Amino acid sequence: MKPMADVPSLTISPSSKESGEWVQPSPPRPLPISSLRTLTIRRWFWWVGVSLVLAVVTLLTCLGFGTESISFSRIWFILVGVMLGTESIHVGTDPTAVILLQVRLPRVLLAFFVGGSLAMVGVALQALLRNPLADPFIIGISSGAALGAAIALLFGVGISVWSVSALPVCAFAGALLALLIMYRISSLGHGFSIYTLLLAGVVLNAIFSAFIMFLTSVADPNRAFGMYAWLMGSLTGPDFFTLGVLALYLGVGLMVLATQAQSLNLLTLGEETARSLGVEVERVKKLVFIAAALLTGAVVSFSGIIGFVGLIVPHAVRLVVSADHRLLLPVAGFVGGMFLMLADTVARTALSPGEFPVGVVTALVGGPVFLYLLTNRSMRVGM
Amino acid sequence: MVDSKNVFSGPAYALRDVTFGYATRAYDQSESVLKDLTCSIDSGKILGILGPNGSGKSTLLKLLARILRPERGTIELFGNPLSLLFQADVARRVALVPQETMQVFPFTIAEMVLMGRFPHHRGWGGWHWEDAEDWRIAHKAMEDLDVTHLGSRLVTDVSGGERQRAVIARALTQEPQVLLLDEPTAFLDLHHQLDIARILRRLNRERSLTVILVSHDLNLASQYCDQLMLLHHGHIVEVGSPQDILRPDLLETVYGCQVLVDRHPQSGLPRVSLPV
Repeated sequence: MKPMADVPSLTISPSSKESGEWVQPSPPRPLPISSLRTLTIRRWFWWVGVSLVLAVVTLLTCLGFGTESISFSRIWFILVGVMLGTESIHVGTDPTAVILLQVRLPRVLLAFFVGGSLAMVGVALQALLRNPLADPFIIGISSGAALGAAIALLFGVGISVWSVSALPVCAFAGALLALLIMYRISSLGHGFSIYTLLLAGVVLNAIFSAFIMFLTSVADPNRAFGMYAWLMGSLTGPDFFTLGVLALYLGVGLMVLATQAQSLNLLTLGEETARSLGVEVERVKKLVFIAAALLTGAVVSFSGIIGFVGLIVPHAVRLVVSADHRLLLPVAGFVGGMFLMLADTVARTALSPGEFPVGVVTALVGGPVFLYLLTNRSMRVGM
Repeated sequence: MVDSKNVFSGPAYALRDVTFGYATRAYDQSESVLKDLTCSIDSGKILGILGPNGSGKSTLLKLLARILRPERGTIELFGNPLSLLFQADVARRVALVPQETMQVFPFTIAEMVLMGRFPHHRGWGGWHWEDAEDWRIAHKAMEDLDVTHLGSRLVTDVSGGERQRAVIARALTQEPQVLLLDEPTAFLDLHHQLDIARILRRLNRERSLTVILVSHDLNLASQYCDQLMLLHHGHIVEVGSPQDILRPDLLETVYGCQVLVDRHPQSGLPRVSLPV
């Protein structure tokens, strides 16, 4: 949000009192339309290219950090070796290569996928609910997914977390349920404010958490402990097969979201206006809901609940790059991935050799940003 | 589709027995906001829809823009049943200027105006890059409404009047044949009210754009509309020229208060004032 310093309706210029007529500020020289800040193909490729390069640099940097630090040239050497086929991902003799390829690379890639997806879901939810504070964690979508996953775990639908199982499907169902409840609430009446949505999110979170706590308390203690660790948000231990499965889920969700980018732009004007501009609103909403639930469900079932990524990343990208969803979605995806890769690097190196959940880092960064946005003056004027 | 709209010579809209009610609860027998409305709306004219609060004016406008669907009855747009058209088909012919535009995200004015090109592109949810033609049309609309210099400003940062002009520019960017406006001057000062009214009349004369506007401002409607439609409790009381509609007896029954009607010193059209 830009500060609302120059709203003419609030400014009483001295001359308007004296002459009793509206004094129009003399407009500056009209700009040629080509200089206006709108999206062009060149701008799109420039920003997507820049964020792609930054994401790769971040990925390589994060690979170097850990209990044993690996130099940049060594990482480069090993990765090029893998690509050329001289180094194998699975059987390595060099311990550094084993650490890099079997421990760090999957984990950093998981962080990238999860962060990117959460940021994109945040973008989509914010447009759909017309609320810049919407985030899958804050409005309870993640806990809905977690409840679905917890039910699957405890009733043995998917005992193994890291194989193709019913787990992501149950998480998807939970996320979809939470989304539908949230959407129902947000479409009640015209006087609905961003604060009502946040309160509803808090309550929804509390209800889902109560169910999860109940389930863990009746569960076998060993399994309950594992669930606690997972719920806190953790990126430990994926293998390449897991990553592939996750990428498949995310790919489908992202494709659907990407096709709706322009419709999301129009939906920010409100459903009625979007409809009057030719958007098939009901169809777009269904598609975006399913995509958002799919992404959240997949992410939560693989990495637990990680909050605030979907809040701060879209906000920052909107301010710096563009509010246009055709550009906002991909760039927020890359930036979200970068953010979570960095956050996870902090989580696993700050107390080395121990580590803490990455959700701690994102909450410590995102929480204050959220509070700032909540108290920001322009936010209230906007609604 | 595109060709048929140019050769059609009948009215812009034909409504038959249109009934609509907002269902508050599924089991509620809701009271209808509009009851058995039958009328036709001439193309190329400026029509003002008047009536007290709750008479169904805005609802009628939303039905015409296909934002709402009638419970019963049919609406035809240039001879095509509205219910059979895609939303984008409607949006290429009809543009709506809502009463208020709220935007919480930092879009620029130029970006918002360009959104008017959405219904003219097909496929993948409208994923397209604006081409030179889109730019030309948007630029022209922005010049017409005098918002070109605001192009790079954020929608959230400009004044209500500037935003309203930009929204009208967006509506023109749709290249519609019918422009629907809901209280276009409600939040504007006198200067901007006059601006908007003059722009609407110019567009109507130059491009034979059909303008349908809802207003509480009887005098503005009197000066700028060719025809007026008076609604009361979801019924059409009367349709006619400003002289026919703005009669003290008619207004008193509909609005439930005494009014004085004299003539505007410049145009000679009816002027409505409230008693002291």
